[in-house]
Amino acid sequence: MKNFEEINIGDTLGPLELTVTKQQCRDYAQIMGVAGIAGRFTDEEAAKKEGLPGIILPGNMSLGLLAKLVTDWIGLGNARMTRIGTTYRQPVQPDRPITIQGFITNTDAAERTAEIELWIENEDAERLVIGTATVTFGK
Amino acid sequence: MVDFDPAIINKTFETTEPVEVRADWLQHYCQVIGETNPLYVDEDAANKGPFGGIIAPPSYAVTFRNGRHFFEHVPRFGRRGFDAGKDVEFVAPIRPGDKITLSSAVKEIYEKTGRSGSMVFVVIRSTLKNQKGEVVAHIDHRFMNRP
Amino acid sequence: MSTILDLHTHSEASEDSRAPVEAYLNWIKLRHAERPLDGIVLTEHRQFNRDGDYRHLEDKFGQMVLRASEVETNYGHMLVFGVNDDIVKRFDFANVRLDAQTLINEVATMGGIVVPCHPGRPNIGLYEHYQSKPPLENIVAVEALNGGSRKGEDERSAELISKFGYAATGGSDSHLVSLIGLCATRFEADIKTIDDLVRELKSGAYEPADFRPRRKPVPQAVEVEPR
Repeated sequence: MKNFEEINIGDTLGPLELTVTKQQCRDYAQIMGVAGIAGRFTDEEAAKKEGLPGIILPGNMSLGLLAKLVTDWIGLGNARMTRIGTTYRQPVQPDRPITIQGFITNTDAAERTAEIELWIENEDAERLVIGTATVTFGK
Repeated sequence: MVDFDPAIINKTFETTEPVEVRADWLQHYCQVIGETNPLYVDEDAANKGPFGGIIAPPSYAVTFRNGRHFFEHVPRFGRRGFDAGKDVEFVAPIRPGDKITLSSAVKEIYEKTGRSGSMVFVVIRSTLKNQKGEVVAHIDHRFMNRP
Repeated sequence: MSTILDLHTHSEASEDSRAPVEAYLNWIKLRHAERPLDGIVLTEHRQFNRDGDYRHLEDKFGQMVLRASEVETNYGHMLVFGVNDDIVKRFDFANVRLDAQTLINEVATMGGIVVPCHPGRPNIGLYEHYQSKPPLENIVAVEALNGGSRKGEDERSAELISKFGYAATGGSDSHLVSLIGLCATRFEADIKTIDDLVRELKSGAYEPADFRPRRKPVPQAVEVEPR
């Protein structure tokens, strides 16, 4: 992880390519306590009944993946992710390759913060989930 | 226009019982998300790190009884609710053993139209506090309701 | 002389955007070789940001920042340029069911112009509404290129434009910093003010400009001035 003085607008995070499994979706839903009440995250048939293509990732799980891109970038560095915002535009499906990436869009020297844009895209380069995060650097 | 009682805005409708952050659940969470940062998964490294011990990944803050239960307390606009997004401010780390309480209020209700039809957005703000009464996070949950 | 403007952008004043105006302008500066804009028009959702004053940012970045609105009607979403007190008094921009024909006619009378945006988009675009309702009158232009379009949407817009002979604009519909200026409008004339813009939009002397990369965009680090 770089210091605040070494980062630049346009610096990239990722890309991180991965495929989330259906079991991971189910596990996440379990952790969140919605496994029993929101079949769209755990059960193919229940998801299809809702008009979805099949099981989808809980929105919060997408947030978790975007956040991981940022906190992996920070690593053990002297900085903290202090904010994240996400918009779930299209469902993210398990067992499909996704790419997670981002880059720095703004910095504030007085606050020692970096604004980061983040997104999850599918194989057609459609941005399924978009977000922004703020990283605050120590002195 | 959306019809609701303006008195519900910014009024806390629920404060949960404390939920304990169990160390084993936290590790399970890290496994599911694929976290490898030593701050979250490596006790020895975390003990020597800036927080003096393992902390939860920031995103763990959104896992506390998210979602449906809110609709027991706020007006519903239609049959189906979807999570449309979050805005989370991370104030202080969450640690294993913490007991987290959520207080929630309706922040905003508005209507818009999109590719899939008309939608009513209900924004709920939750404030998370630990057992010492310290705020650990603020979360704005944006729920989209389809008529 | 010509002017290139991104006619459709959302700053953080819109509830679903996360982009500060300053960050947009900074990004345009950094990417100016690929996106040679002269300025942007903020078209915030369901509101007119009457008090927005961006003169200091215009001076700092050498870019024009004009203000308009994106409203929602019974024929889909529409950009309103030249918003003034009369228009704001007459129409409740937060109403998502504005009557499109009334809006188009009356805004024109009150000195502005209405441009339907993303006409090829399901539910909130003109194309779909024209399948079941009579075409609107007094439309000069529609948005041909929209940076947020999904597959097939710009193609449906093109079909509509060719059928009805509308003039065509472009805009990024950006809600994120990095997407600013990917689509824009190239005007033949010089534009310095919102009045110039309204006049030129009525004239039809412009074309959409597409600055989207042809392949999947992979962001590259760009040079910045040392802090």
